[in-house]
Amino acid sequence: MFGSIKLIFTVLIISSIAGAGMYVMKLRADNATLKANQIQLETAITEQNKVLEQQKEDFTAILESNKKLNVLINTFKKDLQDLDKRFTKKNRDIGKLAIERTKSIERIVNGGGKNAARCIELASGAEHTEAELKATLKSEINPECPSLANPNYVPFQ
Amino acid sequence: MYHFNKILAVAFIVLLTGCSIGGEKKIKIFSVEQPREKLDYPLPTPLQMEEIYWHIITSENAEEVFKKLEEAGIDPVLFGITDKDFQVLARNFAQIRQKLQETNNLLQEYQKYYEEEDNADSN
Repeated sequence: MFGSIKLIFTVLIISSIAGAGMYVMKLRADNATLKANQIQLETAITEQNKVLEQQKEDFTAILESNKKLNVLINTFKKDLQDLDKRFTKKNRDIGKLAIERTKSIERIVNGGGKNAARCIELASGAEHTEAELKATLKSEINPECPSLANPNYVPFQ
Repeated sequence: MYHFNKILAVAFIVLLTGCSIGGEKKIKIFSVEQPREKLDYPLPTPLQMEEIYWHIITSENAEEVFKKLEEAGIDPVLFGITDKDFQVLARNFAQIRQKLQETNNLLQEYQKYYEEEDNADSN
């Protein structure tokens, strides 16, 4: 009788120890899984923050680029208006002027043609000369496209 | 004999299951992102314009102009436009130049945007 109780107790104790051991092992496994999850979550958050940061930078770059292009298009409009003005300023008639002062107008037209050709070179990506970059006075600029040819020239308003 | 049969049976089982011991080896499928090849076109070469000379002819200087042309060994023929058409030509040229500038500018902006993004990704 006493032998059977002892056996039962022994089995119970061994089972308890085994159960406890397994439970601890399960807890450890759970802990490892939770740690791995936590690391993954943290990594995901960092990546998301990076993406958001990049998106913010991209939006700023796009806005800046749009702004630059708008400024450029407004400059184009102004350049065309200036060109028209040069031909029609104070009821100027270039035909009559050419009859009256043929040589001077020929010189002006050829000068203008040369400047216009230079504007096309610059528009196609040619490098500025030092003189073009240094030009700040009206007498030094290329009047056909001052905004393109002479970036340091500020027209008097 | 009994033991021999047992050993034989175990050996037979091992022989049958031998290939599957340790589990079936799985084929791992993984994808590697291959970035699209860069186009890498160089920027367009800037134009080099040739010079032209504008002759202004009026009814008064026409003879003189043609005489000068003949003296210089140039065919005495001119392709003319009126003063109004000259204004139109000047305007047209200005518009072509502006379009060229706009297109070049767009190209640079695209390049700047995407190449800077590539640089940011590679950092």
